[in-house]
Amino acid sequence: MTVDQRQLDIAGLNLDDDDPLEVILDEPAKPPAVVEKLIEEAKAALTAQEKSEKRSLSLVVVGHVDAGKSTMMGRLLYELGQIDEKKRVANERGSAKMGKSSFSWAWELDGTQEERERGITMDIALQTLNTPHRIITILDAPGHRDFIPNMISGASQADSALLVVDAAVGEFEAGFDRGGQTREHLLLVRSLGVSQVIVAVNKLDQVEWAKSRYNEIVQLLKPFLVQSGFHPSRTKFVPVVAMEGVNLTRREPADCPLFKWYEGPTLVDLLDALDPPTRDINAPLRFPISNIFKGTTSGITVSGRVCGGIVVAGERLRIVPGDESATVKLIDNDGESLPWAGAGSNINLILTSVDPVSLNIGSVLCRPGSIIPLTFSFIARIIVFDIQIPITAGTSIELFHHSLDVPASISRLISVLDRSNGNVIKSKPRVLTKNMSAEVEISLRGSLYSGPASRALPIPIEPFSVNKEMGRILVRRGGETIGAGAYHPLRAHQLRLIIGRLGVVMELLT
Amino acid sequence: MKLIGKRIEKDGSGRVTVRPEDDEDMWHLYNIIQEGDRVRAAGMRRIQNVSTTGSVDSKRIRLNLTLAVTRVTWSPSSAPGAESGTKSGAPNAAPVATAKVEVTGRVAEENQHVKLGAFHTLDIEANKDVRIEKDAGGWDSVALGRVEESCVPGRGAEVAAIVCGEGSAIFCLLSEHMTTVLQRLEVPIPRKISTQSSAHEKGLSRYYQTLYTSFLRHVPYASPSLRAIVIASPGWTRDAVFDSIMAEASRTSNKALLAARNKFIKVHVNSPHVHSLVEALKSPEIASQMKETKFAREGMMLDKFFKMLATDEMRAWYGPDHVALAADRGAIGTLLISDELFRSSDAATRKKYVNIVEDVQQKGGKVLIFSSMHESGRQLNQLTGIAAILTFPLDIEVVEAEEREAKEEEERRNAEERGTET
Ligand SMILES: Nc1nc2c(ncn2[C@@H]2O[C@H](COP(=O)(O)OP(=O)(O)OP(=O)(O)O)[C@@H](O)[C@H]2O)c(=O)[nH]1
Ligand SMILES: [Mg+2]
Repeated sequence: MTVDQRQLDIAGLNLDDDDPLEVILDEPAKPPAVVEKLIEEAKAALTAQEKSEKRSLSLVVVGHVDAGKSTMMGRLLYELGQIDEKKRVANERGSAKMGKSSFSWAWELDGTQEERERGITMDIALQTLNTPHRIITILDAPGHRDFIPNMISGASQADSALLVVDAAVGEFEAGFDRGGQTREHLLLVRSLGVSQVIVAVNKLDQVEWAKSRYNEIVQLLKPFLVQSGFHPSRTKFVPVVAMEGVNLTRREPADCPLFKWYEGPTLVDLLDALDPPTRDINAPLRFPISNIFKGTTSGITVSGRVCGGIVVAGERLRIVPGDESATVKLIDNDGESLPWAGAGSNINLILTSVDPVSLNIGSVLCRPGSIIPLTFSFIARIIVFDIQIPITAGTSIELFHHSLDVPASISRLISVLDRSNGNVIKSKPRVLTKNMSAEVEISLRGSLYSGPASRALPIPIEPFSVNKEMGRILVRRGGETIGAGAYHPLRAHQLRLIIGRLGVVMELLT
Repeated sequence: MKLIGKRIEKDGSGRVTVRPEDDEDMWHLYNIIQEGDRVRAAGMRRIQNVSTTGSVDSKRIRLNLTLAVTRVTWSPSSAPGAESGTKSGAPNAAPVATAKVEVTGRVAEENQHVKLGAFHTLDIEANKDVRIEKDAGGWDSVALGRVEESCVPGRGAEVAAIVCGEGSAIFCLLSEHMTTVLQRLEVPIPRKISTQSSAHEKGLSRYYQTLYTSFLRHVPYASPSLRAIVIASPGWTRDAVFDSIMAEASRTSNKALLAARNKFIKVHVNSPHVHSLVEALKSPEIASQMKETKFAREGMMLDKFFKMLATDEMRAWYGPDHVALAADRGAIGTLLISDELFRSSDAATRKKYVNIVEDVQQKGGKVLIFSSMHESGRQLNQLTGIAAILTFPLDIEVVEAEEREAKEEEERRNAEERGTET
C-alpha cells in the first residue's frame, strides 16, 4: 500500500470539501437607524397579530420509540391537504420497495436514508401544520433513547407538546416504566418550559378499540403529569389511530368502533385550541442556532427559534461565542420570506458576509451592543430526577443548553434546597439523591489530556431571571437525564459570604 | 523503563537509577520525582568563557548535572502520531517520547562547568539514565511501588479507542498508565433538512472519508502490541464507521488493515464525549478481554464505587477528610486513590496519603492507585481524588459527631490537667 503523505496531510486538515463553503460578500447591512425603525414597525405589527384570528405556535411531538409519532404527523399532513396524492403514492411505493410499507406515512418526516432503512426517527423533522385557527410548527422528535440529544434540541424550540403513547398491551407499559421515554420525554419538555400538552393515545386498533384500555392509560398518566408539573387544565387526552387517520381531523370513518363510546374532540380540534405562547419581543435578540446548512440560495442558512426580541432582515448580527458577525439577508419561514420575525418564531435565517467556520450549532446570534454573556462555569438550581446513583461533587455530565451538548461536571454541591420555598436545608451536601432540589456549580470540561485540546468554547447562557428560555439547562449522565434546572447566579447574601471568605471584596464589587 | 540500579537504605533514603524510553515512562518519572530529591541526568548548558583577550565565547555543551529539585513539570506530548512513523508512509512505527518532564533546581554536585548552587532546568531525555536520590523516608511504599510498576519488562498492551458521534470522532491511544488523545475530528454534517435534501448524506460520506484518513494516520493497527481497536458511539455510528473503514480497506487492498479486522470491538456508549471512555472500557465486551489492564480495572472499580453509592450510601465515602476517618476506623475494604495526591509538593501531605494506603493494606484492604492520565483517574480526581468502599456501613454524620465529641473531651481533659498542674 502506498499513501501519498501530502494528500493525507491535506485531507487531515479537512479542507477538500466537494462544495466548499466560501465567504460570501454581498449587499451591505442596513444601518442601525433603519433597523431601529423596522423593529418599531415589527413591534406594532406583532402586537396587532396577538389579537388576530390565526395565531402561530410550535409543537414538539414526543413519546417512546415506535409510538407512531411520525406516522401521525405524516397522516395529519395528508388529511389537512398538505401532502398531495402524488407524494403519498411515492412514499407508499418507496417504503414498500424497502420492505417497510408500514412506515409509508412516517416517510414524510423520516427523510434520511438511514431513518428509512431502520424505520426509526433519528433527528428532528420540521413541518408546518395549518389548522383553522393556528399555524403550528411541528417538530417531530425521535423516540429512541440514543437520540434524546436531538429530541432536546427540538423541545427547546417548542412551546407546547404532543405526547404520543402506544395503547398496545405491553407497549404502553414499556414506554411508561422506569427507563422508558414516555416518562423521560415528559419531564424533559416540562423542564424546558413547555406547560401544555396533548396526549394522543394511539394504536387503539391494537386493543379492539377498548374504552377500558383508553381509560386505564389516561388514569395512569394523569398523576404522573401532575407530578411532573403539568396543570390538569392544560393537559388534554385524545384517542386516535394514526395509521388509519381515525379521529385525527374528523370523526371518521363513522362506523369505526371508537365512535361508539368516544364523543370528544378530534386531535385537530385540540391542536386548534392550543394557547399561543407569550412572546417577549422587548427582550434583547437571542437566536440559538440548531442547524447550519447551505440552502439553494447563496449564503449559509441557519435554523432555530427566536428566544427573545425581534430579528430584522438586513441587519448585522454578532455570532456568540466569537468575534464574528453575519448579515441577515433573508428571513425564511416555511418558504415565505419575512421582513422580520419575533420571539417564539421558528425560522431559517439566510446569512451572508460571514465566514462559515465561525458558525456552530449552539452559537447564539445577538444584536451588537446587547450580547449574551459567556461562561465556563456557573451556578444552577436543579431538580434531581428519579436517579439511582446519587450525584457527587465531580460527577461527569453532559450539559444541554438549547442545541448544545457539551461535556461538563458538577464541580460543587452548594446546598440542598427546600422544594417548596427554596430555603437552604443543608449546605455542602455530600451527595444529591433523587427528587432533591439543589444549588450546584457546573463547570465545562477543560482538556487535561495529552494531545490536541478540545474545542473548549464557553457557553452562551443568561440568568433565568433575565431570559427564561436562555437560562434553562438539562443535565444528563450515562444516557439518563439526572436533573433539570436553570442558571441562577448566587443570591446576594451568599455572594457576600463567599467574597468575604476569599477576601476579594473590592475586586469583585468595583 | 529500565531499572539500572537501586540502593535503598533501611530508613527509606537511597537512590534509584532508571532509563526512560517513552511517554509513559516520562509520566512515571513525573510521579516519582519530588521536590527536595536530588536528580542526576544529562542535559545541555550554555557555558561562557572569557578568554585572556577579554572576548566572550559562549557555547552549549552536554553534561551530567545533579540538581536539588525545586520544581517538576509535565507537559503532555503536543501532537503525537503527527510524526510517529508517518514519514515512512507506515503509520505503525514504535511510539516515540514527545511528552516532557522538566526538573528545575540548584546544582547540587560540583561540576567543572557549573557552579554549585546555580539554577538549572533539566529536560529529561529518553534513553538516558536518570538517577533519583531521596532523603530518609523518601522511598516510601508508594514511590517504590511506582518504580517497580514502571520497570516491568515489556510494554503493556495498548488499545486504540475511537469515540464517535455523528460528525465527530476522538482518537485515543491507551497504554497501561495513560490515555493520549491523538486527534479530535469534527466534520460539520447538516442535520436533516427536508425530504428532498441530500446535504445530510453528503456530510456523512465526507465524515467517513475524513475519519478513514485520520484512522490510517493515527491508529497503529498493524502493531503487534495493539491489542484492540475500540469503536464506541451512541446510535449506530460505530457500525457505519467500522463498515466504512473495512470497505475502504478492501477497496484499496490494505492487507494489513484487513488482517486487523478481528482487533475491532464495537461498543455502545451513551454520549460521543471523551468521558464515555470509562463507559466503553467497563463494557462487558471489553472487560472480558482486558480485565487485567489498568484502565479496565480502574473503570470497573470506579463503577463499583458508584454502584455502592446507589445501593448503600453509608459504605461509599469520598473526600480526603471522610476517607481518613473511615481509615481510622479500619472500615476501608477498597481504597481508590489518584496518583495526583502523591504529587503534593508538601511532604507531610504526601505522607498522610501514603499512611492511609499502608494502613488499608495492613488491615487486608485493597488499594488501587489510579492514573490521572486515564479518564477513570480523571473522574476520580473530580471526585476529590480519593474514595473508599467500606466493609461495613458508617454514618458520616454520626462519625463526625463522635469525632467532635472526642475532641472536646480531650480538650476538657487537657484543660483539667492544666488545672491540676497549677
Ligand atoms: N396498528 C397501528 N400501527 C401504527 C399506528 N400508528 C403507527 N403505527 C406503526 O408503528 C410503527 C412506528 O411508527 P412511527 O411513526 O415510525 O413511530 P415513531 O413514534 O415516529 O417512532 P420513532 O420516531 O422512531 O420513535 C410503524 O410500523 C407504524 O406503521 C396505529 O395507529 N396503529
Ligand atoms: Mg418517528
